[in-house]
Amino acid sequence: MAAPCTYGKTLLKVEDVSLEYDGRPILKHVTAEIRDIIRPDCVQGQVVGFLGPSGIGKTQLFRIIAGLNKPTSGRVTVNGEDRPVQAGEVGVVAQDYPLFEHRTVMSNLLLAASQKEKDSKAAHDKVVQYLNDFELLDKARLYPVQLSGGQRQRCAIIQQILCSDHFLLMDEPFSGLDLLMLEKTSDLIQKVANMDELNTIIVVTHDITAAAAVSDHLWLMGRDHDSKGNPLPGSHIVETYDLIERDLCWHDQIITHPRFVDFVREVKERFRTL
Amino acid sequence: MNDALNVLSPNRVISRQTLRWLVGFQLVMLFFIWIFTPTVFLPKPKEVFQALSEMWMQGLGGELITSFYLNLQAIAISSVLSLLLAYLTVVPFFRPIVTLLSKLRFLSMVGLTFFFTLMATTGHELKLYLLVFSVSVFFVTGMAEVVAAIPKEQFDLARTLRMSEWRVVYEVVILGQADKAFEILRQNAAMGWMMLTMVEGISRSEGGVGAMLLNQNKHFHLSAVFAIQISILVLGLGQDYVIGLLRRVFCPYAALTLERK
Repeated sequence: MAAPCTYGKTLLKVEDVSLEYDGRPILKHVTAEIRDIIRPDCVQGQVVGFLGPSGIGKTQLFRIIAGLNKPTSGRVTVNGEDRPVQAGEVGVVAQDYPLFEHRTVMSNLLLAASQKEKDSKAAHDKVVQYLNDFELLDKARLYPVQLSGGQRQRCAIIQQILCSDHFLLMDEPFSGLDLLMLEKTSDLIQKVANMDELNTIIVVTHDITAAAAVSDHLWLMGRDHDSKGNPLPGSHIVETYDLIERDLCWHDQIITHPRFVDFVREVKERFRTL
Repeated sequence: MNDALNVLSPNRVISRQTLRWLVGFQLVMLFFIWIFTPTVFLPKPKEVFQALSEMWMQGLGGELITSFYLNLQAIAISSVLSLLLAYLTVVPFFRPIVTLLSKLRFLSMVGLTFFFTLMATTGHELKLYLLVFSVSVFFVTGMAEVVAAIPKEQFDLARTLRMSEWRVVYEVVILGQADKAFEILRQNAAMGWMMLTMVEGISRSEGGVGAMLLNQNKHFHLSAVFAIQISILVLGLGQDYVIGLLRRVFCPYAALTLERK
């Protein structure tokens, strides 16, 4: 039985987004929406898994959602505002977790915090709080090159949370991780999502199992095909999976459940047709 | 013992103590080669040190100060101009101008000297203009390449932190590349010494170590030439050390990922 929940206001909306390069369609009429998930007696953030084969235009859509690129037509809006998203409203954690190498961990985070919090004492307290929560307090004086991959990932996540409006885009967060680190990263995503009711994380990945394990919804991006089976130019979201409806989220050890295994198989089969 | 064997193996990191031994050994070897070399034209160490003492009495110290001051002035002006121009390449309008300036490094001073002479009111000014020009065309080339090579991800990171485009320039281009700017400064400051002889040869009004060197060379006083060269080398090494020290102080992160620190 699906966990009881209702949907609140729209947090992020992709409205009929198309993108062309030199007249060649990359994205075609992409439409999607993320709404606030409300569960009684708990803080529940949103996690959306964003899947698609390589070269399908995921990165382009990712950059448009982040406000880093402008679409040819359509728009992305956040928090119900009647204007296109601006860079900085949606945090971005890129695959190699970029940080300012010339600043220490503390300085990187203070820089991010001070963009939103003008009171320097409040900004400092907020950074210390996050460092403590993410077990990085003892690394505050180190430079990014002195951090391990996991520490760097956490630092990049904190930096973006401090500055964005509850939104976080993560590019391939499971790429190249061993089983233990994969579990840790999944827990981290859940932890960040559930820090605030409005926190919304979009995870762009190739890893269907990992994405399904952390997400409440999955977007599958692909192309339409002609009658001969050849892909037509221009990608869009061909499938949206509601994992709440299927009672496949917010359970411990969901990946071992037969229904979850069947669901992953279903998504994989659909993935092969894209 | 292992460390001693490592000095002949590729990509090995050796201890500081081994490095000191290695440098000491190579200096002694160099000194021996110098002493026992059969070339009759090469002055022996004793002659060079005697000449150094004589040159010192003839005012080598003062000439070194004159040249050092000129070089310092030129480096300071070149650094400000070159960094400014290189940073301005973030604005498309300035890119062709900087590209054109960087191409001027192929030009010789002949002809340009006349142009600078018309601009300058004193001999010192003329030397300064020539030196600033000579150093800047190389400095701006190196630094503009550093700016052009900044990965897109760094700009995106700054933008996702709600920075304005000028703030992005400050954070990513100016602060983020400070370690590389120091390194280019170090190379160009050394080149300044190399060009100093030429510049001080063009205008000898103030003297300077370059003019002194040319005079001694003209009379084929090789031991005096070597003595002056050694003085320039020592001063240049000191300058190099100070710029390196400044880099380590202001950009301590720069050496953290190096295999050979």
